[in-house]
Amino acid sequence: MKRWNSVAVVVALMMVIAACGGETGSETTTTTGDTVGTEAPTTTSDDTAEEPSGDRTQIRWFVGIGAGGQPEQAAAQTEVVEEFNASQDEIDLVIEIVDNDVAYETLATQIASDNPPDIIGPVGRDGSNAFSGLYLDLEPLVESTGFDTSIWPEETIENFREPDGTLPGLPFASFPSFIFFNKALFDEAGLPYPPQEYGPDGITVYGEGTEYEGTWDFNKVAEIGAILAVDANGNDATSPDFDGNNTTQWGFVWQWTDRLFQQGSFWGAGYPLTDDGTGDVPQTWEDEWKWYHDAVWGTGFAPGQEELDALGGNAFQSGAVAMAGTHLWYTCCIRDDDNNIAGDFYDLAVMPSNNGVVTTNMHADTFRILASSQHPEEAFTVLTYLLTDAALPLLTAYGAAPADSTLTEDFFASLDERYPQGVNWQVAVDSAAYADVPSHEQFLPGWEQYKEAMDTLQSGLLTDPELDLDAAIPELEANLTAIFEENAE
Amino acid sequence: MAVPAITGKGAAEHPAAPFLPAKKSLAKRRGRAGLWFVMPWILGFLLWYAIPMLASLWFSFTDFNLVSNEPTEFIGLDNWAKLFSDPDVRDSVLVTVRFGLIALPVAVFFPMGLAYLLVKKNLKGRETFRALFFMPSIIPFVAAVLIFGGVMNSQIGWVNKILELVGIDGPRWFLDKTYVYPALVFIGLWGVGNAMIIFIASMNSVPSTLYDAAKIDGASEWQSFRHVTLPLISPIIFYNLVIALIGLFNYFVVPFVLYNGSGDPGGATNFYALYFFRVGFQFFNMGYAATLAWALFVAAIAITGLLFWSAKYWVHYEYGRT
Repeated sequence: MKRWNSVAVVVALMMVIAACGGETGSETTTTTGDTVGTEAPTTTSDDTAEEPSGDRTQIRWFVGIGAGGQPEQAAAQTEVVEEFNASQDEIDLVIEIVDNDVAYETLATQIASDNPPDIIGPVGRDGSNAFSGLYLDLEPLVESTGFDTSIWPEETIENFREPDGTLPGLPFASFPSFIFFNKALFDEAGLPYPPQEYGPDGITVYGEGTEYEGTWDFNKVAEIGAILAVDANGNDATSPDFDGNNTTQWGFVWQWTDRLFQQGSFWGAGYPLTDDGTGDVPQTWEDEWKWYHDAVWGTGFAPGQEELDALGGNAFQSGAVAMAGTHLWYTCCIRDDDNNIAGDFYDLAVMPSNNGVVTTNMHADTFRILASSQHPEEAFTVLTYLLTDAALPLLTAYGAAPADSTLTEDFFASLDERYPQGVNWQVAVDSAAYADVPSHEQFLPGWEQYKEAMDTLQSGLLTDPELDLDAAIPELEANLTAIFEENAE
Repeated sequence: MAVPAITGKGAAEHPAAPFLPAKKSLAKRRGRAGLWFVMPWILGFLLWYAIPMLASLWFSFTDFNLVSNEPTEFIGLDNWAKLFSDPDVRDSVLVTVRFGLIALPVAVFFPMGLAYLLVKKNLKGRETFRALFFMPSIIPFVAAVLIFGGVMNSQIGWVNKILELVGIDGPRWFLDKTYVYPALVFIGLWGVGNAMIIFIASMNSVPSTLYDAAKIDGASEWQSFRHVTLPLISPIIFYNLVIALIGLFNYFVVPFVLYNGSGDPGGATNFYALYFFRVGFQFFNMGYAATLAWALFVAAIAITGLLFWSAKYWVHYEYGRT
């Protein structure tokens, strides 16, 4: 029987070792491009805890809560890491690329388990808000290292300053917004292209000298959007015979910018938190929500949720939508049938105005150092490398306009290589002047709950033809008030 | 020469009582060996289930937040008090109950009906049908949900295209509150193969002599099913009901995949498990999420216990016992 016990003990121990020991330490510490997009975190905590060879200090760079997950982007990032590691022998930079779907949970878990990365990014305001209060103030490091920040306009730097006076970010990329339009669909409808130059104060004219001439505003978008929306029988949305249940082509879509605080802000910047801590949806947002609900369910020139699903989500790329309001980052995602970044069917137009005001939502991405970093100086060295020497290849991969204006020309030249039809990139440059202030992504207490409350109403807007926004908006405001009160510091 | 230990029935009756401790010792030694063999599972249970469960119970009394830079604090019963006043909890429980009222009977009786048809001896191609009905359950459920999302899309789905051919204007299955539960239940039918197989096995184990006796007594097909089949497969009905109930408590995959957890349409798919996920993994409020998880656990135990209590009135084990 003793022999049996011994066998059992050995077998049990072997099983425990096999179950718990696994392949620890055998995985690579860098992420390869072809794993990104579908895989869970590709670098385990065991890997990241592993000390680098030699005396190098390991700095972990976490990618995933913003751009950076597409295969081309992963390849560019990996190349940047390799170049950095080859350029010096003090720091070992390790990149962790995590699929965006699980990036927030992964990062939160790493932070909670006392295993946080040193640097995260690129990340916009939205992603940053989720981890608000955990970033390192960069100003002391800027001063102690003498890092030259004059490459960026002062106001761009100040845009990253927090109300408490700290500076947890430095400029890297900006993504202005404007209109992408499908030239072929305009040609087919015999309509003039949307304007490509802002007039005084941003206001400009559509179809000058034609029967469609008028101010380029959202009423005009609705007017020509109805002409561009076509049903299966060939009737456009201005026809009484138009069948909104069988639409095959649409006039307009908020392409991945349809979260309510995003689309509302295109009609005028606002902040839904009042000084007394209550929720108050800006009037311009309310007006826009009603306009878009009517665009989907009334006139029918914008696709609803099921139609978006049927188009695979990327509605404008499908070629079935004439105009899309979105950001410069959308250049990432116009692809051909072989999934290569390509598409000669589009050009850019300026953002329409609303009541005489042009508002182009702005997304600004950067890299941030977590305050918990054990090596803040080395992390700052990496950060400045990413913001300067590595900026151009990364910006090109992310499809982001450089915050450093000296890189602008090279950046758009690289986009021209992808889209050689002669896209008017000046529209993107000019649109930056009409950025939303305050940002639609300005931090709010309970940011994730705020987004969830907004998303609930948004899904109603895209799915419920009978949605009564006059009743729903006060309910939303009451809900927002409760969220702000619960999360007030 | 060593005296062999007496085991078995004869041991108790054997006059040589001193041998009895030897028997116990052997059993103990064997038990110990068995314990070593199951040790990996016990260790795994302690490490990955018991300790995390206890930890989560502790979390439910704290304000533990994954992304907070404030230290976690003990807050007593605050999370539990919030649980009973949280309108989202109330709504998600109601959603789960409403769906359960439709889904549970279907989850139990549809595979039972299917099994009843597939055990009929005069059904041609019985084995082929069994294989065909079982096959969907081996397809990953997430893939099936995505496929059904397309199949029942009101714009491009072929379900509505077929309805259109016969002059019916198909509904917006997943976006209309009236149709969303039937649509979800319909998707659930995709995975009834396992339950069906268990029902087939249990129906096949009903002795044919009982049916013969019933026939001699003049029982009709329905009477035979009602008074012979149903009582004898009642333990399997009970088992499938418990499994379906647990599945209802954990109902998450379908609404999460179809609606990305949004609760569409109009909160109709905001199931309890989905709300728990949102609190824990979107708001990172682990303290409150742990409370929600424990409340679900307690509710599941209570309702399952109630089912077990009720079993004595309608579940018949007598025939299988010797």
